[in-house]
Formats: sequence, C-alpha cells, structure tokens
Amino acid sequence: MSRLRNLGILAAAIAAAAVAGALSSTASADRPLPAAIALHIAAGLLFVVVGLVIWTRTPGNRVGPLAIAIGFATFIDDLRFLPYSAAFTVADYFGPLQYALLAHLAVAFPGGRLRSRWDRRLVEGVYGWVLLSNLFPEVFWASALPAGPHNLLALHRDAHLHTIVGNVHQVLNVLVALLVIGTVWRHWTLASRPSRRAMAPVAWASGPVAVAIAASNSLGLVDPFGNLKAGTEYLTPAALIILPSAVLIGMLRTSLRHSAVGQLVVELRQAPSPARLRDTLAQTLRDPTLQLAYWVPQEGAYIGTDGRPVDLATVGPNVSTTLIERDDQRIAALLHESSLDEDPWLIDAVAAAAGLALDNERLHAELVAQLAEVRASRARIVEATDAARRRLERDLHDGAQQRLVGLALAVQMARDKLGATPEAQVREILDAAADQVVHALAELRELASGIHPAILTEAGLGPALESLAERAPLPVSVTVSVDGAPAPVEAAAYFLVCEALANVSKHANARSVSVCARREDACLVVEIIDDGVGGADASQGTGLRGMADRLAALDGRVSVVSPEGQGTHISARIPCALS
Amino acid sequence: MRIVVADDSVLVREALVRVLRDADLTVAGQAGDAEALLACVETEHPDVVIVDIRMPPTHTTEGLVAARAIRAAHPSTAVLVLSHHIETHYAMELIADGGSGIGYLLKDRISDVAEIVDAIRRVAAGQSVIDPLVVQRLVDRRRTANPVDALSAREREVLALMAEGRSNQAICQRLFLSPKTVEAHIRNIFGKFEIEDMADDNRRVLTVLTYLRRETA
Repeated sequence: MSRLRNLGILAAAIAAAAVAGALSSTASADRPLPAAIALHIAAGLLFVVVGLVIWTRTPGNRVGPLAIAIGFATFIDDLRFLPYSAAFTVADYFGPLQYALLAHLAVAFPGGRLRSRWDRRLVEGVYGWVLLSNLFPEVFWASALPAGPHNLLALHRDAHLHTIVGNVHQVLNVLVALLVIGTVWRHWTLASRPSRRAMAPVAWASGPVAVAIAASNSLGLVDPFGNLKAGTEYLTPAALIILPSAVLIGMLRTSLRHSAVGQLVVELRQAPSPARLRDTLAQTLRDPTLQLAYWVPQEGAYIGTDGRPVDLATVGPNVSTTLIERDDQRIAALLHESSLDEDPWLIDAVAAAAGLALDNERLHAELVAQLAEVRASRARIVEATDAARRRLERDLHDGAQQRLVGLALAVQMARDKLGATPEAQVREILDAAADQVVHALAELRELASGIHPAILTEAGLGPALESLAERAPLPVSVTVSVDGAPAPVEAAAYFLVCEALANVSKHANARSVSVCARREDACLVVEIIDDGVGGADASQGTGLRGMADRLAALDGRVSVVSPEGQGTHISARIPCALS
Repeated sequence: MRIVVADDSVLVREALVRVLRDADLTVAGQAGDAEALLACVETEHPDVVIVDIRMPPTHTTEGLVAARAIRAAHPSTAVLVLSHHIETHYAMELIADGGSGIGYLLKDRISDVAEIVDAIRRVAAGQSVIDPLVVQRLVDRRRTANPVDALSAREREVLALMAEGRSNQAICQRLFLSPKTVEAHIRNIFGKFEIEDMADDNRRVLTVLTYLRRETA
C-alpha cells in the first residue's frame, strides 16, 4: 500500500518537476538562468525523495510528509510561467509558502511534532504571516501590468507605496526568520544527546540556507538595479539543495538507533548483570542518563541498579518513565530523557527487548535460587540424618548397652551367690537370663553399628570400610588411599559401600568384590566392582536410589554399569570442597 | 594386685569394682575420664588399668589414647581396654608395637567374672589379650584363596586361642592336649601360612593377626 503511495507521489513529483522545468526554460519573459532552473528543480525533487524515505522508515513522523510538501511547494513558483494570470497569481502568492513549511520543519525537527504551545503558535503564526503579509506587496503593485499573465491581485498601482510595503515586508520577514532561528536554537540547547545527533546536520546546513535566503531577500533592498540578481538566483536553490540531504542524514542518524535495537536483542542473549544491562540499554538509546529500576514485589517498590528505591512519581524534569511489563506483571521501569518519547517505536522496542532479558534473568534467578535452596535443604536433611544417627548410637551406647552390661553383671553375681543351693530351677532361670542378656547385647551392638558405625567418626573411612569387609558374607578387598575427607562425604561413601555390598551378597552371586576409595582432583571417588551376574538396575530397588539421593545432596554422582553376565561396577564421585 | 578402673558410666564402673573386690583384687582408684585416669595412675602406680575406650569429652577413643600413654610412661602397668564395639583396627593399634601387658576386650565380657579376672591376670603377667570376637571375625573372614581353609578343625581352634594371646600352656589346658601336640599344631599352622614361627608369645599374636588381616581377596 505504502509502496503504491510512494510511487504515486514520486511520479507526481517527477511530473511536476518536468512541467516546471519545461515551463521555466521556455518562458520568454523574466527567464531564469538554466543552471539555476536545474538546481531549483533538483532541490524540489530531492525534498520529495527524502520525504518519501523518511516517511517509509518512520511512518509516524511528520518530518516525511513535511519534506514532501516542501518539495512540491518548490514547484509552485514555476506556475508563473504558464500563460494564465490566475496561475501567475497563485505562484506569486503561494510561492513563499515553501518558507513557512521550511520553518515548520525546522521547529518540528526531528520528532515531527510541535511539542510546546509556543512552537505551535509560532508555526501557526509563520503560516499566517506568509499568507497574510504577502497580500500587501501583491495588492500594491509598482508598475503597469504586463500584457501577458500577471498578478490578478494588483489592485492599487503606486510605486512609492509598493517600495515602502516591500521593504517593511522584507524586514518583518527577517524578524520572523530570526524568531524561528531563535526557537530552533532554544530546542538545540534543551535537546537531549540523541535529539542533537539528528539536529546537528540540519543545524549546520540551515546556516547557509538562512544566509542565502536572507541575502536574496535583502539584496533587493541594496541592489535596486539588479546587478547582483543573477548571483542570488543560484544562491537560494543551491542552499535549498543542501537542506534535504541534511534532513535525511539527521533522520538516518536517528534511525541508526532503531537498527541498534536488533543489536541489543543479540547482546541480550546472554543474561547480563543489572549494571551491564543498564549500560547496554543506555548505549542503544544513546541516553547516558538512563536509569533502570527493577520492580521488587517483596518491597512493593522499584529498586535502581544501585540498590536504592526509585520513586517513579517524582522523577526529575525532562525525564520520562517507560514501564516494562510481561504478562501484566511489573518487571522494571526505564527512566530516560523525555525526548525519547518522540520515537515511541524505539522506546517500545527497547523496553520489549529489555523485558525479555529481564524476564529471562528473573526466571533464571528464581530457578537458581530454588535449586540452591533445594540443594541446601537436601544437604541439611542428610546432615540432620547423620547427626540423628550419631545421637541415636550414642544414646544406645550410654543407655541401653551400659544398663545391659550392668544387668549381665547382676545376673552373674546372683548366680554366684546362689552357690551350691539345691534350687536348680532358679539357677536354670538365671542361666537363661544371662544368655538372653548376652544375645541382647550382641544384637544391640549390631543395631548400633548399623545406625552409625562409631569407627567411621573415630578412625575414618579406611578402618570403617575394612571393618565392613571383615564382616561381609563374601570376599571383599579394600583399597583406601584417601584420608580426612569431610564427615558427610565419608558417611555418604560408607553407606554407599554398605548398600552396594548388601546388594552384591543378595543378588549378584559374585565370587569377590573389590572396594576402592581414592581422591581424584577435589573429589572422593568410590568404586565397588564385583564379578557377579550383572544386570543390576540402579532405578530398581530403593537402596541404591536412596544412596544416589544422598550423594546428590552433596553434589555427588553415582553411576552403575552392570552388563548382563559381566559383573557390576558402581562408581561414585563426591566433591570434597563441600562443607 | 592393685587395679584402677576408668569408665564414665558410674553404673558399670561400680558393678565392675564390686566384682573385682569379690574376686579379692584391690581397686586402688576410679576415674570417669581420661584426664582423671592419668592423674590416678601417676599417684597410685597400679599393676593393671581397666579403661573404657569411649569417655568424655569427645566420647570417641579417649580410652585408647590414654592406654597408649600409660603403656609409654609406665611400661610395668598393664592396660585392659574395654569397648562396646569391637574393631580389629583398634586391636592392631594396641598391639602394634608388639609390647606386652595389653588387652582389648568386649565390655560384655565383664559379666563373666572368671573370664575378666583371667584376662586381668594375663595382662598383669605381661601377656596380650585379644577378644575372641576379633579373632573369630578374622578367622571367619571370607577370602578368595583362603589359607584358613587348609587348616584342620583342631588347628583352627589352636589358631584362635593363639591369636587371643594365650600361651602354649593355656592352649594345652583349654583343649586338653599335650604340649607336644599343641606345638605340632602350631608348626603346621605356620607351615601352611608360610610364615615364620615366633618364639615370643606377644610377637606371635601380632604376626598371626597381621597375617589374618592382611589376607583379603
């Protein structure tokens, strides 16, 4: 659609340029110099083309249509070469509209909108002034009207009055131009850095244009004989041809920021730190004052990257706020220069990209925190379990076991005191009691050692595994070349071997097992290798599964390789740096 | 014979003291922890110390450490270490230097007065005393090429008693065998194990236990 529109406008402009060129070069009277005609037409066409480019790239920006309008307005002046008085009048009267449009563009540049009330009044005033003030030199005509096309508005012929009105008009024109220049200057001083980047080329180009226009106008005042007029004919179109290029360059510099959004998305692939994200966004928006504030639900407030709360209601002057939200949830806010509001597409795109990155970052952080919490809680559970086991064993040792030994002694003494009395039944009962106590002690010993082997905490993993091997129901060789691993790591390794040996003796039908514990890097590596039937499945049975969980709580890993008929190889790695 | 008893359990300590006094042994002192025990040994110079392996403050192997300290400082004082848990590792630590007059018994043994008194007399006489449970574990241990399997039932009995620290004479009395027969059994055992016989009883205990322990798969 816009492509068709653009082609139409371009065709119209070329047609208008062709007509204007043909008219101005064939006109007999008051014929301009050919080079001046060429420059004049080129400037008009250039304005239209530049306007089309800008309009296509930033459809919401009025700079495009304005530039197109200026281009077409350039050709109005050439209507005077038509053989009709009406056309001559239109050309003479509406020709200067071009300057009003130029003023409009200058005041509205680069955002395309008139931001303040003064700007709007000024532009309205300039349009009004151009249309109204032009009436006077038109109406008060100096010389006799020619036979050809002439000014239809010339009602009062008075050479003297014409000169006076003309001069006053010129002076006032200069004043209006100064007002416009002053306003643009004020815009420049207040402009943000990104705005200045766009304004700079236009500002630099406007100098020559203003000088040229002023010169061609004021020369009329000082050069009544027209000796210099030939020179000024080149001056205005030559200056005008610079201006659209400057506008285009300025707008392109702005739209470079748009392409930077693409770069931003690429850069945000890797979740950056909050400070780096702020820097990246500031760079993309070319706004070094940019602030990034995170919404922290727990605080119910926005917190800046420096960790301080940010009150969006009391931001400074010339600062605008753009909220970053995902799924109707507040995530963050961008505090940026107000001038960026002129380019809503840019700020929306940057906010969306930042939202994506922040959301990713937030989800990632949540996940990491949850994972860390799960890990920590698992480690705590294992530690608590180990502590509970140690306490239970100690309680058994200090309580039941001691009391049973005392009881055994008492029974023994009772039996001795009985001496050789004939109460054989009592002796039998006491013998049975003594026997029971000895058995109870033995069972309690096994139980206590199963709950927590005292030797593990007292003498370490090596003696504990040796002790385990001594009591195993099949040959077990133990090689331990590691000493002083953290207690939870040693406990995990010990219980893993316990579980593995129990499994081997139950299911593997193995002739022998070798157990090996050694240090590799900062890890305790435990291997249990049997020559049994193999085919063990780690996912089957709760024993090994539980061991895997226990190891995982310490960031350890266990692998079970058990091909059918080739024995089972259990291997565990437990980081020792922990705790 | 003067004895010092160290155990943090008052119940067990007092019961033991009564048993010892009933057996006409002199209890020269009592202690509840290793520090008090060492102080008591310094003042009382007992013939025998009976010490629980696990005592305050850490409740791990204080008794063991104290036993070795006493053996080093007072070679004439015999030490009998008692424990609820019996571990080969500790037995080996105690007899590692091949020294005499040291014993390691399961605490349950004090319920058999005759046995505990016998153990006290043996350590006092400079012998080693190793709990039968330690020996049983080592003899019963499963091995791939098990040299114990090559022994006869009688030889195994002799091996066990020898490993417990008993003298040839004691083995003779226990098994109702003549000294010559016991010597023949012992020669056979050492021959089958392919290790050299030791003249010294205590060195022999260490050698046998080390041998049984060394053998793994």
